[in-house]
Amino acid sequence: MKNDYKEHFIIENRIEELPVLSEKIEQLGKKWEFLSPLIMKINLVLEEALSNIIYYAFKDKEIHKIEVSISNKANKLIIEITDDGIPFDPTTSEQPDISLPASERPVGGLGIFLISKIMDTVGYSRKNNLNILTLTKFYENIERKNN
Amino acid sequence: MKISKEKITDFTVINIDGRIDTNNYSDLEEELNRLFNSRETNLIINCSGLNYICSSGLRVFLVTQKKAISVNGKLSFCNLQPAIKEIFTISGFTSIFQIFDTLEQAMNINSNLSC
Repeated sequence: MKNDYKEHFIIENRIEELPVLSEKIEQLGKKWEFLSPLIMKINLVLEEALSNIIYYAFKDKEIHKIEVSISNKANKLIIEITDDGIPFDPTTSEQPDISLPASERPVGGLGIFLISKIMDTVGYSRKNNLNILTLTKFYENIERKNN
Repeated sequence: MKISKEKITDFTVINIDGRIDTNNYSDLEEELNRLFNSRETNLIINCSGLNYICSSGLRVFLVTQKKAISVNGKLSFCNLQPAIKEIFTISGFTSIFQIFDTLEQAMNINSNLSC
């Protein structure tokens, strides 16, 4: 029997896959009775992580599969993203200095920064030539309907 | 995403509806570049219909603000939905852009500054 608290998606390394996935996450979020700001954050985190992988992880022109699993249990979301691209550990990325004025602010690095701010933990491991990114978030009851 | 613009007194107000994401942020970039090329550099982005923005969209705003500052122009925002405001706050954008609750406030305060 399929578990209600866990969902699994596979996308190809094409940026056009992202709005399709976003729509599925929207449906999943509704099924889990999440309010729209929480669904938006999940979609944002996925878009940032997946677009990074799609743009930078693959040095060939082949089609690659990227796996996304999401589980939701006891107010804890766990998102796991697996790809077979080149090793990349986002937890070691330099964080942008957001206190700088506009003229001095570097324009890059915001995507991974947003992931780390929205999620509670960001973990990375490399196993069997796969990058595995594990993101967790504890959410409040008020972020769901009928709380 | 739907972008429309209107000229109100000295300002160009840009209304953005829907989502700014990895697939469409370049449309926004092109539109803002077009405005800059026609010397419209006093911009107010009306976000009342904006319900999603990713880092690519935020980057477009940051780059535009850098360009605006260099020609004494300015980019400010109004009517941010709470979830979008939160993303702006997380990104440190509340300190590099003026963000107003309403379009009227954005126009009043900016007019006073330019007097």
